[in-house]
Amino acid sequence: MRLLRLEIKRVLKSRRTYILVALSLFLSIIMAYMPVSFVETSYLDENKNRVELKGIEAIRYIKTLQSDTTGSVTPEKVRLAVEVCQSCFKEYGVTDYYELPEDIYNERILPFEPLLHGIKEVFADRHTGMAASIMAIRPEQIDVYYDACNERLISLMKMEQIDAQAPQDKAIAMYQKVEKPYRVYPGYNSDAMDYELLLAVLLLIFCAIISAPIFSSDYQTGADDILRCTKHGRARLGTIKMISVLGISSVLFIVCMGIYLMLSNSLFGWECIKTSMQMEYSITNLANWNMGQLQFAVVLTGLLSVIATMSFILFLSSKSRNVITSLSIGLLMCIAPILVYMIIPGEIGLWLRCMLPSGALGMTSSFLYATFNFEFLGGGNIAIWTPYAMIGFEIIEVLVFTILAIRAYVHHKVG
Amino acid sequence: MELVIENISKNYKDKQAVSHISLNITPGVWGLLGANGAGKTTLMRMIVGIMEPTSGQILYNGLPIDLLKESYRDIVGYLPQEFGFYPEFTVRDYLEYIAALKGLTKRDTKDKVNALLEQLTLAHVRNKKISKLSGGMKRRVGIAQALLNEPEILILDEPTSGLDPGERVRFRNLISEFAQNRIVLISTHIVSDIEYIATQNAIIKEGKLIATGTTKELVKRIEGKVWSSVVPMNKVCEYEKQFRIVNLKNEDENHVSIRYLADAPLISHSIQETPHLEDLYLWLFPETGQGGEEE
Repeated sequence: MRLLRLEIKRVLKSRRTYILVALSLFLSIIMAYMPVSFVETSYLDENKNRVELKGIEAIRYIKTLQSDTTGSVTPEKVRLAVEVCQSCFKEYGVTDYYELPEDIYNERILPFEPLLHGIKEVFADRHTGMAASIMAIRPEQIDVYYDACNERLISLMKMEQIDAQAPQDKAIAMYQKVEKPYRVYPGYNSDAMDYELLLAVLLLIFCAIISAPIFSSDYQTGADDILRCTKHGRARLGTIKMISVLGISSVLFIVCMGIYLMLSNSLFGWECIKTSMQMEYSITNLANWNMGQLQFAVVLTGLLSVIATMSFILFLSSKSRNVITSLSIGLLMCIAPILVYMIIPGEIGLWLRCMLPSGALGMTSSFLYATFNFEFLGGGNIAIWTPYAMIGFEIIEVLVFTILAIRAYVHHKVG
Repeated sequence: MELVIENISKNYKDKQAVSHISLNITPGVWGLLGANGAGKTTLMRMIVGIMEPTSGQILYNGLPIDLLKESYRDIVGYLPQEFGFYPEFTVRDYLEYIAALKGLTKRDTKDKVNALLEQLTLAHVRNKKISKLSGGMKRRVGIAQALLNEPEILILDEPTSGLDPGERVRFRNLISEFAQNRIVLISTHIVSDIEYIATQNAIIKEGKLIATGTTKELVKRIEGKVWSSVVPMNKVCEYEKQFRIVNLKNEDENHVSIRYLADAPLISHSIQETPHLEDLYLWLFPETGQGGEEE
């Protein structure tokens, strides 16, 4: 334990580490506020003067305006929202929201907006997937709102997974387990989820910068020559170095993400996390999670991804004779999911993105976005939802790379 | 206690750094002499177990060191030629860290660290970052870490480089005192550092062991080959081309006194001198710099 304490002290004492820790804490606070600052609305006061609202004031105003939508998303509530919307469209001779004057939209449609989320998707064309026009939806269709959601998923899966029965069956089975009616608590801005992911990616990069020199720097400076001829300088030191860096990375990640979520949820209102994720993203999302559970899942898989990526980078570090090599390849690994997403399309790209240790934190290709998609790995009768596949691969990688890193350190050949 | 080096060799891609060296190292201070690139560092790295020989083996009390593993490392202290340290650590932090790696208890660590800081006159910089210390102080921190576990086998690679004359004397005294019933192997090309304290010497040239023995035994090899003479200053360049001048001292405006190596006196009125280890070194390594010391 004394050696572990001293190793943690050593890593934390480096200027590089405490600058990155300070930067991480600063970003956690700043980034929590940014999505709040994006919320804007306006209204006309009694004298017909426009009042512009921004940030927390705007959130409060919108919450008050949409308070009647709070709670269960029942077909009756959705039908009323659609009917109000259609009547307004008729009145102003328009077919979509953006054609309405801003004040009319804010006055007539905005109060029902949370319930109108996904309505065009639910009644999308079953063969082409084209979103339905609000005016084309017959109110009585909405009486079987959740049946329509089921049908939408079936048609969607047929389009997404042509001739692949296992993923279709799996998706339908998963969706059956999603709690209905959905729930909605207005006032949340889903940009906060994107910022949560962006913060997680930045933390991954910072942790990579802390981890990459752990072994390679000792090789480069010759410090390793002294360490490895001491009693505990081989397997025990290798293990302790791994534990300390994985521990520091994990604590940094958990603390920063914790600060972010505490601030973000406090600013938007904690009740918002009870909103079903289907009411923020695709109406037929397969995960039976509310926004709070989604936030937690992103943190948990992000943490797993950080540990898996750091294990990989520490393995690299134990094999590299200089810091530049381990750091550059390590950073490349952090952005690898983005590169794979852009360069390698199709099934191979999908497998690679899931298999990469940093796969869950790849921005465009990440655990968060994978939960919105309907992609599965496998073949024949096997279909694994990609978010689950990412978790599985990461657990395996943590074990494999940790063992490989310690082994590589113990067997390192002094040049 | 005995450390036996059995016919070890170390090959790199295109070079044999150590070639079939066999040596029985018994307690006492051993000087390992050789020019740069002779294979001293490679040999020491194999002795401390951080480098594997291509062939041959090293036995400690009859057992191969690669089988002894942790128990062998427990009785070894090593100062490499390039002392790599953690720049973020203070002297005390670093010594505590190495003490923990060497398996010292918390109490022993405190006592041992304090004692070594005093012995190596580092007490006043104990809370200073190693990166802020002078070269000599860094070297002394390196020596301190090697001594922390009171090793039975102490391997010091160029321990005195960067030390001033006073520090060298203190180092020699410390090592002489420490070496009772222990093996201390010091590699250097600063011959005077080991001439006073080494009980045995081993000389390596181009990876091969070319001589072993006490200083007295070794210098016998060049008895009758060390000469001195007073010569005109303008003749020095000419003599330098003909034979090895190991020392040169001004006598007056036009004359210098030279000490040179040759099988027979090459200048009239030359006086035969008592050979020193440094003369032997320069006899064996004529390609090294004048005076044999490199700093």
